[in-house]
Amino acid sequence: MLTRDQAKALIDKILNLSKADECAVMVGAADLANTRFADNQVTTSGRSEGMVVSIASTIGTRTGNIRTNETSDDALRAAVARSEELARYAPPDPEYVEPISAQKYPEVAAYDAPTAGAAQKEMLPGIRAAITGSETKKLISAGFFERKAEVLALGNKRGNFGYHTATNTDYSVTARTRDGTGSGWASAERFRLADLDAPAVSRVAIDKAVLSQKPRALEPGRYTVVLEPAAVSGMMQLLFSSPFDARGAEEGRTLFTKKGGGTRLGEKMFSEKITARCDPFDPRNPGVPWVGEVPTELSEIGQFFFGGGSAQNHSFLPATRLAWIEKATVKNLVYSRYWAKKKDVAPTPRSSQSLVIDGEDHSLDDLVRSTDRGLLVTRFWYIRYLNPQTVQLTGLTRDGLFWIEKGKITYPVVNFRWNESPSNVLANVEMLSRPVRSGERVVPAMKVRDFNFSSVSDAV
Amino acid sequence: MTLSRRRFLEISAGAAAIALANDLFGLPEINGQNTGAGKPSPELSALAEIALARAKKLGASYADIRINRYRNQLVALRSAPDLATGKLNHVPAVQDMQSFGFGVRVIANGTWGFAAGRLVTKDEIARVTAEAVAVAKANSALQKSPVRLAPVKTYVDRYTTPFERNPFDVPVPEKLALLEKINSEVKAVPKVFSADSVIVARSEDKFFASSEGSRIQQFILQTYGQMRAQARDLETRISRSRSYSPAPVTAGWEAVVEADLPGNGRRIGEEVVEHLSAPPVAPGKKDLILMPGNLALTIHESIGHSTELDRALGYEANFAGTSFVAPPEKVMGKLRIGSELMNIVGDRTLPRGMSTVGYDDDGVKATSFDIVRNGVFMHYQTIRDQAHLVGEKESLGCCYADSFDSIPFQRIPNVWLKAGEKPMTPDDLIAAIDDGILIDGRGSWSIDHQRYNFQFGGDAFWEIKGGKKRGMLSRVAYQSRSTDFWAALAALADQRFWVNEGLTSDGKGQPQQINAMSHGCSPCLFRQINVLLTD
Repeated sequence: MLTRDQAKALIDKILNLSKADECAVMVGAADLANTRFADNQVTTSGRSEGMVVSIASTIGTRTGNIRTNETSDDALRAAVARSEELARYAPPDPEYVEPISAQKYPEVAAYDAPTAGAAQKEMLPGIRAAITGSETKKLISAGFFERKAEVLALGNKRGNFGYHTATNTDYSVTARTRDGTGSGWASAERFRLADLDAPAVSRVAIDKAVLSQKPRALEPGRYTVVLEPAAVSGMMQLLFSSPFDARGAEEGRTLFTKKGGGTRLGEKMFSEKITARCDPFDPRNPGVPWVGEVPTELSEIGQFFFGGGSAQNHSFLPATRLAWIEKATVKNLVYSRYWAKKKDVAPTPRSSQSLVIDGEDHSLDDLVRSTDRGLLVTRFWYIRYLNPQTVQLTGLTRDGLFWIEKGKITYPVVNFRWNESPSNVLANVEMLSRPVRSGERVVPAMKVRDFNFSSVSDAV
Repeated sequence: MTLSRRRFLEISAGAAAIALANDLFGLPEINGQNTGAGKPSPELSALAEIALARAKKLGASYADIRINRYRNQLVALRSAPDLATGKLNHVPAVQDMQSFGFGVRVIANGTWGFAAGRLVTKDEIARVTAEAVAVAKANSALQKSPVRLAPVKTYVDRYTTPFERNPFDVPVPEKLALLEKINSEVKAVPKVFSADSVIVARSEDKFFASSEGSRIQQFILQTYGQMRAQARDLETRISRSRSYSPAPVTAGWEAVVEADLPGNGRRIGEEVVEHLSAPPVAPGKKDLILMPGNLALTIHESIGHSTELDRALGYEANFAGTSFVAPPEKVMGKLRIGSELMNIVGDRTLPRGMSTVGYDDDGVKATSFDIVRNGVFMHYQTIRDQAHLVGEKESLGCCYADSFDSIPFQRIPNVWLKAGEKPMTPDDLIAAIDDGILIDGRGSWSIDHQRYNFQFGGDAFWEIKGGKKRGMLSRVAYQSRSTDFWAALAALADQRFWVNEGLTSDGKGQPQQINAMSHGCSPCLFRQINVLLTD
């Protein structure tokens, strides 16, 4: 792992090579180990160490960006020169904002040394639990266990420097019946491997597979649903992304655009039970100490661009807590540094970063027990926009859909496709569980009325 | 240009000396003409020997190493008015990305192991190879049936996807000037709010060496340009976009020129404005004409994914899902997927195909094969460790890893629909419809994890009434079951209208990897498909 001193030395070396007016550097280094299994045996498994060095050189308001993983002196010299060449080619950026000066970033406790040192051997007990548990019940299991240790560092010519280390583990299992009529899934994500109870995750998937066999088909229509945290997390991802962008709202392009112009900031749009926040300090899902994006995959860059915005100069402000929705009311929108300056307000974090949706003091079982007639949803699949502006989405249920009658799970149900908006879901909430981490978010299970299932999906 | 003798001696002598991608790969071949003369680089071969020898010494029964360099360049321009002043701002983004390193794959104790490194030195190659063997040995405790590889010939070769002008050599100012011209054409249409355009170039320098003797160097070059117009109405709070996304291809800058992006600017500008006030569709069963820009994704989702052997066998059950085309013994050569008119080919040799290569990442020579013949399922997409599971003697060459540090696995090749054999134009298709919709471009798409139930949108929709194309419609999606949908294929336009559509970022696997491929097709008529009114 790259130490603070090594990261600082690498960034300084790059900044010293710079001849541009401004130069900003971001370094991401990751150590990964993972194991996949399927058909009750290991399939592929690997280890790798990767690094991304992202350099933004600015001449006037022209910025050129380069990203490379070669860090020899020759390679860095070539990379800096190329970023400066690209900057000279680029036209002036009318939305340019000056880089930030030295910042004081908060400490976020997100790193666990034993987790960083673990590899395939430490994953085997959890995987064995899934495989032997599945064999006992005559099921077929498939799953994935991964651990990641990473360093993120940034710096610029104006003396800014930040360094952050993080670990993460995630484990997920799918168990299926041999006749293909039942499928169960469960997952967990923790920043400490010791906190991840892989055998317990395996048991949930196995139990769901057994319970979900030979489902009955119901008619599509509107139903009360109990959405498990994984379903909530999946569905909320697209709401807490571009729709919260203040610029998009003000330009008339999003859910938060007011009819006739302006935004819906301050409007009560959701249930009184809903408070949603950015909290990078939440110990269940510690975030990064600055506001902005970590390096993204090359492949996404084309799509990323179409979200708009100008070239990055890695000017990330210290992370803060901020409410997006407070007791039903739209409390904040996302202001980029450019849009914030233009509107004379403070820049805000991205709404996708460190999302926490508050809950109530209930368990998932309490939600089921309180339901007279409804459906329990394990998770959703293939969620896509139907209309980005209204955030109407489509998706499917998967790996465990059950009918609830008089507070009890009574039988498995054939999967549905749904056409529904997470905005409606947050308006139609009746009861929440205590929030837990699911994926990259901390969310409760939700009991929601009038959820729109549009067609039957035969998939198991 | 290959590695200088001096530089190579440095690497060979000093174990810690780091090889530079530029030195090792040099300039790509241009249409087979370069100093490499059809042979892979001896310097790369020498580095590979370190891994292969080390793996053998540590007890691996098979090993391969890939030493790869990837380059991406994105040049983009967004043109939108400043809300306060109304002045048109052109906001650029220019980015180069490159990565370089090696991945070693071994079989030890009958189990796969993989490890990768980004520092291409003798020491690192030896260390990482040992790590790959350690991973295999650790996991072999849970292995029930040893990995079996289908036989493959030994190849020593060099391959380049054909191109005329390397897009990485086209000066950035020339690209930006083109983007500004494109956006100006779009913005010349009154009521267009903003215009975006982008030019992307991506290349893979790949070197593969296996313990079975193959030494293969390849240069794969992908190029594309895309543009989008946006319009919005603050009173109704409706916003629409319209894209022109000519097929991404394995080719050079010539493909961007041929696509005539500026020449399509006014058209997409006018279409987005019409779409903004287009009436909503009346839902119900309708005949659909799907243009290649829309149908390509439907082919991808319903046929491309469902005929992946790893999905059919449950290897992807935990993430991407399984398949309705299963179990193999009951469906190969038997399952009717669609009408007699449906013929779909899996193909890594297709000229300009995004998945076209000389050899796959198993070192298997590129080939083509029938996936669906006259509506009946014939072959899955396979790789070397799967072929025996369906009783086939050879891999069909569908192995790919998206990076040097990603594990190669089965990915979708170019999967294309043969054009109709009878002379048939898109106008003939329109004339055959009483009540229907013509759909172009990609919108929303979603399909279940066994690939039965799908729901797709589009980028633009036109009403067809009484055999005539009328004005645009809005809020359209179509929903069907894969086999019902393909059974409803009633007519295909002929070869003159076949377009080599492609995708650039299909995701699969854990950890997720991306893949690009082409899904060529001609405009097709589908009868009585369920059309939905979206929000």
